[in-house]
Amino acid sequence: MHGELELSEETRDRMAELRALSDRAEAGDKEARRKLRLMVRASSAEVVGRASDVGRRADRVLASSAAGGDPLAEEALCAKLDLMRAEIAGEDPTPLEVLLTERVVSLWMLTTLLEVLIAGQYRRDAGEGLKRLSPPYLIQQSRILESATRRYFAAIRELARVRKLQGERRSG
Amino acid sequence: MTLERRDGRPYYYRSVRDGDKIRKVYVGAGEKARVSHEEDALRRTGRKARLEREKENLERLEALAAPVLEVSEVAEILARAHLVAAGYHKHKGEYRRARRA
Repeated sequence: MHGELELSEETRDRMAELRALSDRAEAGDKEARRKLRLMVRASSAEVVGRASDVGRRADRVLASSAAGGDPLAEEALCAKLDLMRAEIAGEDPTPLEVLLTERVVSLWMLTTLLEVLIAGQYRRDAGEGLKRLSPPYLIQQSRILESATRRYFAAIRELARVRKLQGERRSG
Repeated sequence: MTLERRDGRPYYYRSVRDGDKIRKVYVGAGEKARVSHEEDALRRTGRKARLEREKENLERLEALAAPVLEVSEVAEILARAHLVAAGYHKHKGEYRRARRA
């Protein structure tokens, strides 16, 4: 199952290429911008499809962990994620909007799950009284949650930004 | 921590850090030495088990987060590639469309 939650080497290579071309194009390399345009057009839908697939499978794993073995809770969470996807993506989303929506939804699920797991652990440890958690552990755990939360807010901002700029292009 | 025996009688010492040095601090002899030694050993085993549990928990959290973070990175790269390909560039953290000459 682990393989299903990972992007293929091919997709990773393509991402590295897109990143390098974007860097060069932003630095003013016109040829790089031309190549980037072609590559975006050629690979966008496929990459979006693959990444969205991995994202959805990851959502399912997160929902299953959050549900703690309760199938009804797991289904309810998955339904909630579908609803969020539909609401956030809106009508007739572009492939990029689909992926950015998946990113927002997955990160929401991740931050929610991390909060639930961490809060549950604090409650258990407080109940057991003497078993205290080590400071490095608490710090590392907070870092993981903080990093996910930061990315979640960045994902919302990015989707809004792309929509705004796409709107500008359509109207301009 | 060391449990030493002299003339068949146990003497227990704890190792205590004092700056750069480690000092041996006398705890007790006889029954007290035996009980203190066992208590410390239990504490140490408990601490080791707790650290092991914490490590496993962190690995689990990181494994849960990894695929989402990877998809998130792909989305970020692709969004940027789309914008840059469409003629935008980042200026003070905001994307702007390049002026046409």
